[in-house]
Amino acid sequence: MSARSLATILAAFAFATAPLAAQGEGISRAFELERRGEYVAAADAYRAVLRASPAEVAALLGLERVLVPLNRPGDLLPEVRAAVAANPTSSVVYGIALRAWAAVDQPDSVRAVAERWAALSPGDEAPYREWGAAALSRRDHQGAVEAYRRGRARLQRPDALAAEMAQVATAEGRYTDALSEWLVAVRRLPGYRLSAEAGLAQAPPSARPELLRALRQEDELVASRMEAELRVRWGDPAGGLDALVAALPADRRLTVEALLGLIDQLRTLQSAEGRLALARGLEELANRSVDSERPRLRLEAARAYTAAGNREAARRMLSGLADDRRAPGAVAAGASAALVQVLIGEGRLDEAAGRLAETGPALSRDEIESLRLRLIGGWLKAGNLSKADSALGADSTVEALALAGKIRLFQGDIAGAVERLKRAGPYAGDREDATSRTALLAMLQPIERDSLPALGRAMLQLEQGDTSQAIVALAEVAHDLPAGRGGAELSFLAGRLAAAGGNAGDAEHLLRAAADSEAPGTAPAAELALGELLLAHDRPSDAIAQLEHLILTYPESALVPQARRRLDQIRGAVPKT
Amino acid sequence: MKRRQFLVQGGAGLIGLSPAMSLAELRLGAPWLLVPMDDAQSDHLKAYGLAFRLLSRGGRAEWLLNYRGGAFLMPADTATVRDAALTGVTTESLDDSQVVGIRGQLQNGNMDAVPLEKAPKVAVYAPPNAAPWDDAVTMVLNYAGVKFEKVWDAEVLGSKLSTYDWLHLHHEDFTGQYSKFFLNYAGSAWLLEMVERNREMAKQLGYRSVPAEKRAVAVAIARYVERGGFLFAMCTATETLDLALAADGVDIAAAYADGTPMDPGASAKMRWDEALAFQNAALELSPTVAVYSDIDGHQVNSPERRQQLGSFTLFSFSAKIDPVATMLVQNHRQVIPDFYGLTTSFMRKTLKPSITVLADEPGAPWVKYIHGEHGQGTWTFFGGHDPEDPQHQIGDVPTDLSLHPHSPGYRLILNNVLFPAAKKKELKT
Repeated sequence: MSARSLATILAAFAFATAPLAAQGEGISRAFELERRGEYVAAADAYRAVLRASPAEVAALLGLERVLVPLNRPGDLLPEVRAAVAANPTSSVVYGIALRAWAAVDQPDSVRAVAERWAALSPGDEAPYREWGAAALSRRDHQGAVEAYRRGRARLQRPDALAAEMAQVATAEGRYTDALSEWLVAVRRLPGYRLSAEAGLAQAPPSARPELLRALRQEDELVASRMEAELRVRWGDPAGGLDALVAALPADRRLTVEALLGLIDQLRTLQSAEGRLALARGLEELANRSVDSERPRLRLEAARAYTAAGNREAARRMLSGLADDRRAPGAVAAGASAALVQVLIGEGRLDEAAGRLAETGPALSRDEIESLRLRLIGGWLKAGNLSKADSALGADSTVEALALAGKIRLFQGDIAGAVERLKRAGPYAGDREDATSRTALLAMLQPIERDSLPALGRAMLQLEQGDTSQAIVALAEVAHDLPAGRGGAELSFLAGRLAAAGGNAGDAEHLLRAAADSEAPGTAPAAELALGELLLAHDRPSDAIAQLEHLILTYPESALVPQARRRLDQIRGAVPKT
Repeated sequence: MKRRQFLVQGGAGLIGLSPAMSLAELRLGAPWLLVPMDDAQSDHLKAYGLAFRLLSRGGRAEWLLNYRGGAFLMPADTATVRDAALTGVTTESLDDSQVVGIRGQLQNGNMDAVPLEKAPKVAVYAPPNAAPWDDAVTMVLNYAGVKFEKVWDAEVLGSKLSTYDWLHLHHEDFTGQYSKFFLNYAGSAWLLEMVERNREMAKQLGYRSVPAEKRAVAVAIARYVERGGFLFAMCTATETLDLALAADGVDIAAAYADGTPMDPGASAKMRWDEALAFQNAALELSPTVAVYSDIDGHQVNSPERRQQLGSFTLFSFSAKIDPVATMLVQNHRQVIPDFYGLTTSFMRKTLKPSITVLADEPGAPWVKYIHGEHGQGTWTFFGGHDPEDPQHQIGDVPTDLSLHPHSPGYRLILNNVLFPAAKKKELKT
């Protein structure tokens, strides 16, 4: 090649690439303007690119985007027309064109674009999907359904656009129709299952039995999975698990996949029923898993059973696992720790102590410390205060100080309890522990007496779950103390316990005793609780009077805004939330 | 007593306003309560309720126009002090000498004191089963604690309307076209119920169609104003009331509403002399476009015509010369974010020359808040649906006004509620 011809070629190349480079710069500038929120300038920049290259999809999409915040989506039409003329075979361009016509509410033009697009892509669902979406953007459900039906007819595929049809049916509240379509869609593309469930989950309670019945009739795993997962969403986790287990196939891969799907959903539930269903699901999964996976799943199931309060099942899961030499070390140690927790929960404290001493070396220092404190908590709850105290020893960690404070309290040593609880501060345990310890401290601090064994016994009864006896005992102690010296605080606690237990008469009596002006720190809270109690027992006039009394008597109290809001709600001045 | 005479009497005159004081009240110390309406106020909206309930108990108050955001002066009686404490309304105790000092300030600036004498009897025009949370006025009356009663077509066409001082209209469509939701929301249960209820009412009252019956209601409302009533309307009620009034003998309703299509020449046949606020508007002829005419500047339901929201500015008026307009714009904010409604704003070109513009968007071809007289009464139109929910959609959660106790937009509504309480013979605008 001669030097001259090479120069000619290079020059030609330079001429050809110059517009491309300029175009690249133009689109970059448009993107930058859009990113900075300068939509008018961005629109101009995109238009400049489109003038040079009318079918430039990035610029066309950019212009479509920026015209939305400018509230001028209809201004896209000239560019759309030019793009279609320049590239009459581009699906992307047709999609943009269709949305542009929809934005200016021109259904005939939308239809014409969709038909032209469909003619170019005979086997494609996209033209009909976009056509339907355009109708939906105008809230024209009927138009959308017609677009999808036309698509099915043209494509000659009864399963085409099923998810879209289902979504329209869901939006219109036709849940049975939606289910039929979703089943078609999920059979074709299993990934639709979660979308289907999310849509069907919106069905009102009255429509649910019919949907579940229809799913049961299908007699296939996909329907059973939907039934199970919908039941969980609708608050019946046990029923969901039963439905799935009954339909599990012999194929282990399918079984594990289905169980894992449901277990993931059950993990999100915080209710006791949810936790129990999770534990059962994990057990089912463990039973169907390979040997190497089984110990881990049994341990997890045991923990879930413990959290659900079913210690017997937890023990069943753990039986043999803690001592199983074949189980991985971490699993065996975890099982031992779980077993100690189960034993503590069952009150078999000596056995738990023995197990902890035995397996301690296999556990981490933190695990041992955590289990030791749980064990002390167990002795405390059992009323074995001396053993708890001696086990605690001279431990001065904040966790130990919190327990020591409780031990002193149950022994009736109020001064000792206050001193230790103060030192524990807000650091021990989780947030809930810290809050309850602060409340306990606030209750004890006004009491001037250093020793009150009767209060210790009452608080121990409460710890042991004997609430009714605790209420009586607390009320008696409160009666012997001046309101401003702890009596009001104890009455308030007893009143709240009685209210929570449904004993409205005692609760009202005790809360009124707590609402004593000699205890200005407690009285507003007692009055607010009394107002809530009266309201809960259909006495709005009395509740209003009580809340008004609170506001007028304690105008500086932090509870006044809450009392005012409650009054507003009772009177219908604000919506109930 | 003339208003001027009343004002110059200062503190001494106020003793005449105060109810008899009990020993308990005297123990309260200062005899007067100032309810500041500037940024010192903790709940602007409930402050209006405080004033309203004082008037309802037979007490009297004064509205200190342009003084501390439109403050109220009240006697510090036990009931009012208690009410303020319960509702969380900020008050400041004043003695007579401090009140005299305030009066001096009022005299020397663009301020004035308007006596509030009698709580107006308030009616809200709404269907019997209307959701209480879809109407800004109902919401704010409930929140402030202003008593009201609901009326609907039977009461308006009967004689009950004349027993009220103040009537509020919200998103009623007086053209009888169900807010033109008919096509977009076809099949929705709430729309079917609305249509059925309106058809039943029209039939019960002996009208051939809903549009015919709604026009009769609009005419009855106009007569109520003519005879001295106070009318306050928001959202689409503003525009459609005037369209219905002007459509004397003209079919402006689509076929789905009355069985016959709209008269294609309707715009030219409208009788604007029968309307309250608007004139020379062009009607929207398409039944599928949820727009009535070019009165509304924002056209929220027409994507290609919809205008973006800006903010509107309240006008300043001379408190001593224009007390009515001044009352209606009392606020602690002059510039307020705009909010959509089926009718959001009013195009300047469609306003009758006699009306008073209370707020507009500077530079825009539309205004937001207008007022005028009709016969012996007055009307006020405020565009938009919910001042604290600018993009309100059907089915949105209700606005909780306890989260917006300082809402300047809602204050404008409450200015209108108290306005009829002002001593009428003193007013001049």
